Amino acid sequence: MSITLRLAWRNLWRHPRRTWLTMGAMVFSNVLLVFMITLQIGMYGLMIENTLKVLTGHMQVQAKGYKDDMKMRQVVPDIRALSAKLRDALGLETVSARASAFALASSEERSFGIQVLGVEPRYEPLVSSLPGLVKAGRFLADIDAAEIVVGSVLARNLRIRVGDEITLLGSGRDGSFAAAIATVAGIFESGVTELDRSIAQVPLVFFQDVFFMDGAGHQIVLTATDLALVGAQQAAVAELLPDGDGLTVYDWDALQPGLRQAIQADISSAFFMYAILVILVAFSVLNTQLMSVLERTREFGIVMALGVSPGRLGRLVMLETGLMGLLGLLAGASLGALFTYYFTVNGFSYPGMDEMAKAFNLPAEFYPRVTLLTLTLGPLAVFVFALLSAVYPALRLHWLHPVEAMRAA
Amino acid sequence: MIGAARIVATLAWRNLWRNHRRTLIMLAATTIAVWAMIFMTALMRGMVNDMVRDGVESLPGHVQVHHPAFRDDPSIGNTIPISDADIIAAFEAGGFAAWSSRINVPAMITSERETRGVTLFGIDPALDRNLTFVADGIVDGRFLVDADDKGLLVGRKLVETLETALGKRVVLMSQDPDNEIVDRGFRIVGVFEANLESQEETMVFAGKATVRNLLGVGDRVTEIAILGDDYRDVEPVYRKVVDLLDAESGAGDVEILRWTELNTYLGTMLKVMDGFVLIWTVVIFLALSFGLVNTLVMAVFERVREIGLMLALGMRPISVMSQVVLESLMLLAIGLALGTAIAWATIVPLEDGIDLSIVAEGMEFFGAATVLYPELTVFDVALANIVVLTLGFFASLSPAWRASRYEPMEAITKL
Amino acid sequence: MSTVRCIDLCKTYRQGEQDIKALDHVDLEIDKGGFVCLSAPSGGGKTTLLNAIGGLDIPDSGEVWIDGQRIDTLSKGRLAKLRLSKIGFVFQAYNLIPVLTARENVEFVMQIQGVPPAERGQRSSAILEEVGLAGLEDRRPAEMSGGQQQRVAVARAIVSQPALVLADEPTANLDSRTADDLMGLFVALNRHHETTFVIATHDQRVMAYAKRLIKMLDGRIIDDIRQQAA
Repeated sequence: MSITLRLAWRNLWRHPRRTWLTMGAMVFSNVLLVFMITLQIGMYGLMIENTLKVLTGHMQVQAKGYKDDMKMRQVVPDIRALSAKLRDALGLETVSARASAFALASSEERSFGIQVLGVEPRYEPLVSSLPGLVKAGRFLADIDAAEIVVGSVLARNLRIRVGDEITLLGSGRDGSFAAAIATVAGIFESGVTELDRSIAQVPLVFFQDVFFMDGAGHQIVLTATDLALVGAQQAAVAELLPDGDGLTVYDWDALQPGLRQAIQADISSAFFMYAILVILVAFSVLNTQLMSVLERTREFGIVMALGVSPGRLGRLVMLETGLMGLLGLLAGASLGALFTYYFTVNGFSYPGMDEMAKAFNLPAEFYPRVTLLTLTLGPLAVFVFALLSAVYPALRLHWLHPVEAMRAA
Repeated sequence: MIGAARIVATLAWRNLWRNHRRTLIMLAATTIAVWAMIFMTALMRGMVNDMVRDGVESLPGHVQVHHPAFRDDPSIGNTIPISDADIIAAFEAGGFAAWSSRINVPAMITSERETRGVTLFGIDPALDRNLTFVADGIVDGRFLVDADDKGLLVGRKLVETLETALGKRVVLMSQDPDNEIVDRGFRIVGVFEANLESQEETMVFAGKATVRNLLGVGDRVTEIAILGDDYRDVEPVYRKVVDLLDAESGAGDVEILRWTELNTYLGTMLKVMDGFVLIWTVVIFLALSFGLVNTLVMAVFERVREIGLMLALGMRPISVMSQVVLESLMLLAIGLALGTAIAWATIVPLEDGIDLSIVAEGMEFFGAATVLYPELTVFDVALANIVVLTLGFFASLSPAWRASRYEPMEAITKL
Repeated sequence: MSTVRCIDLCKTYRQGEQDIKALDHVDLEIDKGGFVCLSAPSGGGKTTLLNAIGGLDIPDSGEVWIDGQRIDTLSKGRLAKLRLSKIGFVFQAYNLIPVLTARENVEFVMQIQGVPPAERGQRSSAILEEVGLAGLEDRRPAEMSGGQQQRVAVARAIVSQPALVLADEPTANLDSRTADDLMGLFVALNRHHETTFVIATHDQRVMAYAKRLIKMLDGRIIDDIRQQAA
């Protein structure tokens, strides 16, 4: 250990209480930061995954403008062929074609306006969680069968069961009157009332016949192998699209702009809180280091008279702060990791969270995972700001006059 | 005693300014902390209040009455089992801020181009004018004239998706109580804007009598919505509605719900918010408290000798303790005053609203509007002040206690 | 009745590895109106004795009586009260509360005692004039010389007319002329108010003012001389 380092270390423990208290502020903030950042980033991940996996997928091929207007005539022509082509070219099974229309669904007793999706029974389960949520009956099987899968609330309101028939009334692609009868094959229950009340799925070819789609559909939904790979695969998909049909591929951010913006809005408010915590720690350090410099004025005067440069003394003060900051960082990060780990095992929840979580497609209990990023982000910020706040006390040494300093009480 | 209290106060105040550098740093930290507490709380409050207000507006009302099955099964079969004439007679006398009896049923709306699922509202414009946002939200055309109005009000966004326009005809399809599909052409007489895009997409309004004729339901409604004076205090309205309906014959079978039960997300939000404000305030104070205690420990340490002197001269330990605690509270009080003042000064200019349209769809995801109106409440300011002073008092006890336990002689001779 | 009476006082300190007998079976009696100097080399026990008499330090054994009241068995609170009413202190240095003015320092004790403001003002003005500080009432300690500070300390010690004033090396930080002035003040006060003074010192010139000189060594009284004061 060099002499400067040893000196810095000993100086740190001249006022053990003061050092402990300053480090306490760091540790307190670090524990909170590690916990909150871990929770936050984990929740964003889940929020994105859970929202996208219901229907949106990671990317969609659509006619330009369809995502905003969702008009019947904004179609992807010959959609099954294109869907198959993408599957082959990308070597990706998780590609499924869809068509969509609004229709009046009627049972013997009731009628409700719903969104009808025409899907590929074979591939839909690979891109959407809804087929897996079928609680009664089964999911669709044949691509041209007159079958339908409906949400549980809709089934209850229509007073139908598996095996009953539903009449669909709507307008076809060309605006003409469209009508069909389909047998209920299954009933899904996602737990999200809006979905369970307003969505029904039918086989794609059956849909195309009923709504005069002429082989066309509206969306090809793709799920990338990993959310992080969406960018690269989106480019690959764009290459494969035929020219002249006005088709484009949107990533999840374009399809669900609310999701990223919600996260951004949340991040900015969280950032404000974190910044305040870090600033308060910085003030604590500034106070401590300034006191520590002022009370050593005499001592500094003596060593300066002996020929030690103010720069060197400044570095000593910075080194002391650095040591203190490092201890705070290590202790804070470890305690923060431990604290967070408790919730990794036991789950994190607060009163009212189930209600809030539902609105964001989150589970009522959350199991945060500490990663290197979430572990170090907060404590590093605290460390850097602690160092920055010691700059002023360290610089003051340059204004110190040895003789006057030695005279100081 | 008064003399002792005065000298304690004098000493605390003068000691506070002895090391002005340290005091100013601590004061700056306290001011920032208090500002952050109040400012952040005002923003969050503003956001939640907007959400709740919009939510309550689109419900609408603070209390709603339905057939017990209606909310799960919003069918025209599930009407309130009291004639509308009786309802009007009863509620007219109720003296509510605003109220309306209305019909709302799921329907399909079809233009020449497109079809969408919507909720069709049959309203009495005279009653609904003060209850829903629609009357004020008309951007094109006109509001409904009376219950017999044959026109339709459609949201701006829906007009776009249906590729229709003011003055054009659309067809609405729904079912009557016998499950017969009924439909009718409507002319769009007004286009409205709403805070949330989803409201513009899914709500259409027509005259109550017109909708009744279409659905063939006679003198019935599906919903009574009542607005009280303050959404935070919904109980008086709720009690009054319960009393009114108890008096009606055949009213045994209705469901009366407060908005917190109608929209549990918002109800929870409001409660979680209160908890959040408290936690945020306490957390910020704790982060601050390390510096505070540190400052006091240093101050006491530097003054060992004079504290010893005071004890030797006969000052009671409790007075020494009060002196340190008081010094701390004075510091916090100044920080609170400054922090509160700055918070006020930064919030008031923002009260016309902070434009968040860059993240508009994100805010809609939360159910919040794009203009955020921060809300500075006396309660939150008081909370911050009370939390800081109370916890500050307890945080100061330890250094103060140490100061009062000095042995006078050791303290005086300490160099 | 004597103002101070000490019976068989013992007090041992630990310093590092060593036990130091600061008071070793000390018996002492001081009459009302006495002017006593305690003299001893450093570590001779004079400060310890002074503190025991002032109730600032509790002896290991023995008894301390002030004005007929036994004080070594009193609680801290009662001791504080006793000091407030019966004993005035003048210390070597750092005698004053830095944030208070001369007048406020003098009024400090009265204020704790709850003396009404008007009376406080009157008494502090009178006493400050008596110690020769008229016109300097509103200065803070940092704005006064060492001698002036000690005068404020004396004024504070006697303002509530205590039976006993204890002074520990009051002249240690003063030049000789200022020290003489201070001792002159002590003598005058002793004469006018019949206040008993006990002064611990190792300054020869201070001892010259004493009516009685008690010499200590290693915690014991080795000499007790009644002399003609200078």
